[in-house]
Amino acid sequence: MELESISQPALEQIDRLQGADLVVGVLDADGNGGPAASAAMVREVLPKFSDAARAVLIVDDGAPGARLDDQQPLSVLYCKLSEPNVTTEASPQTIFEAYQTIFGLSGRIGARACGVIASDLRTVTPEWIDRLVRPALEMGFDLVAPLYARHKWEGLLNRSVLSPLSRALYGKRIENPMGPDFGLSGKLMRRILDDYADLRRGSPRQPLASLASIAIQGNFQICQAHVGARTHPLAEGTDVSSLLAQVLGPVFVDMDRHAAVWQRVRGSQPVPDFGEPEPPPAETGAVDVRRMIDSFKLGAANLQDVWSQVLPPTTLFEIRKLSRQPPDQFRMPDSLWVWIVYDFALGHRFRAINRDHLLRSFTPLYLGWIASYALEMENADSAAVEARLERLARAYETGKPYLVSRWRWPDRFNP
Amino acid sequence: MWQQVEQALSQSTTRVLSQIASLLPGIVALILAVLISLALGAILASILQRSLNSIDFDERVLRWGFQSIADWSPGKSPTLLVARVAAWTVIFTGFLIGVSAFDLTLTSALVLRFLEYLPNVLIAVVVLLVGSLIARFLARSVLIGAVNMNLQYARLLSAGVRWMVMVLAVAMALEHLAIGGGIIRLAFGILFGGIVFALALAVGLGSKELVTRSLEREATRSAAASVDEPVRHL
Repeated sequence: MELESISQPALEQIDRLQGADLVVGVLDADGNGGPAASAAMVREVLPKFSDAARAVLIVDDGAPGARLDDQQPLSVLYCKLSEPNVTTEASPQTIFEAYQTIFGLSGRIGARACGVIASDLRTVTPEWIDRLVRPALEMGFDLVAPLYARHKWEGLLNRSVLSPLSRALYGKRIENPMGPDFGLSGKLMRRILDDYADLRRGSPRQPLASLASIAIQGNFQICQAHVGARTHPLAEGTDVSSLLAQVLGPVFVDMDRHAAVWQRVRGSQPVPDFGEPEPPPAETGAVDVRRMIDSFKLGAANLQDVWSQVLPPTTLFEIRKLSRQPPDQFRMPDSLWVWIVYDFALGHRFRAINRDHLLRSFTPLYLGWIASYALEMENADSAAVEARLERLARAYETGKPYLVSRWRWPDRFNP
Repeated sequence: MWQQVEQALSQSTTRVLSQIASLLPGIVALILAVLISLALGAILASILQRSLNSIDFDERVLRWGFQSIADWSPGKSPTLLVARVAAWTVIFTGFLIGVSAFDLTLTSALVLRFLEYLPNVLIAVVVLLVGSLIARFLARSVLIGAVNMNLQYARLLSAGVRWMVMVLAVAMALEHLAIGGGIIRLAFGILFGGIVFALALAVGLGSKELVTRSLEREATRSAAASVDEPVRHL
């Protein structure tokens, strides 16, 4: 893999390290004391690993070029992980680029395990690194996905699409298939780098979107680790349509690449988890349901021509019916939502319309789902929220035959 | 004297009849050429129609985004349009062949001018097609963007963008066809400038309150959302 942001002298210094047991990549080194604090956390955790004598910490300092502070047992590599600097303008795209750089460096160093911390360092503790890395380093697991302590209004894109879709497609109940904090074994790392090498030159590489699918396809051992509450340096002011385009696009592309795998999967199994779950943080503020319902209604009124390119008439009819509901009765059935997600994935695959237009036109539908979820879960406790999300995940599994049949025989149906 | 008159009459009659007789083969050739080309054109149109219908050409044209071509075609069928264009091309060629039987230099000049003009026609067609595609793409981009920004006049904006791009494309096509000359340029300038001016006035004055309310609503919501909104997508 090309490491364009790393200078040749720095690469030569890395090669002189002659390998390391552990690589830890920290994307948000600006928070909570900068690289020094990140290094302190890794130094605190390192002695707890019986098998890790040497580690390399990779931090983004935003400066061009790269420099290596080679010390025992922890060396620190300061480099720019993406263009632009991931900490100042952290869009999903820049996060993807940072991951590519870390994976490439880990592969070059030849580490036995790699941990990537993308969350805001203000919430990250040394236990995070320990819980994400130990299963990969000492317990034989290859992919360690995070389990965050979240209140019911957090991670809604993950809860509505990413997690249940990944579960239905690949049969593993991974709560955060796109992390973004992960632990990986050296074996999985090499598999990922081989996968990138197989991609056509110029094809986009989206590591977060394909981590879980590559691990499942290759029969790697997967587990999850409770890491506590988190905040993400990604500015939540990023408009929703851009967010959807940047996150869902790679997910749908990955679906296309691994279609032969997920079409054979039936049902789902849980994956082992480690650590004690922490109570979710308290919610602050109220969800502006009205604005989201208005967005949904505006979309239903104006985007029928666009949606009709990917959604069947029955789905469009249900959407129109839903848009006429009064706010207090606004409830989007799980089956409708699942069909919408699956039809958009199909529309993305068959390029029914320009892909960017397709993903951005998904925004009013997504906001409609949030509004429906918010109205339903307004006074719900954690257990009720978990039960609700479990029902949604089962709806994705139940609706999978619809996806498979339309994927295989698109000509049998033409919206 | 009557003999001279008779002689003059006889000579003029002979001259005219000779000229008519010399034209007759040409006329017959012209009629024959047109009839044959009519028959060939009809056969070609029939073959083309069957071939294009077998590949669902009408639906493909719609899928490729050329809705306007479908709308302007006879019977809203691009297949019929293509068939008729091909048939008339054959008939026109037959007519040229027939006319060349009269006066070779006249038809040569005609054909030369036609061939010189043909590239302009082709470029104009390409400009219209590309303009139609771009108009559709931009209109859809604006529509989706405006809806995502919660602008109530999203459809109006989208239609405005589509028409502006199409007007531009038509003006460029007419320029290539050398039709209208300065009048087209002037009309385009007035129309395009008028559309932009009208939109600016609408935003600035005519729908000031509507836009103000819409923007205020969005600003209030954005400000409130950034302070109190607990929703996190990632």
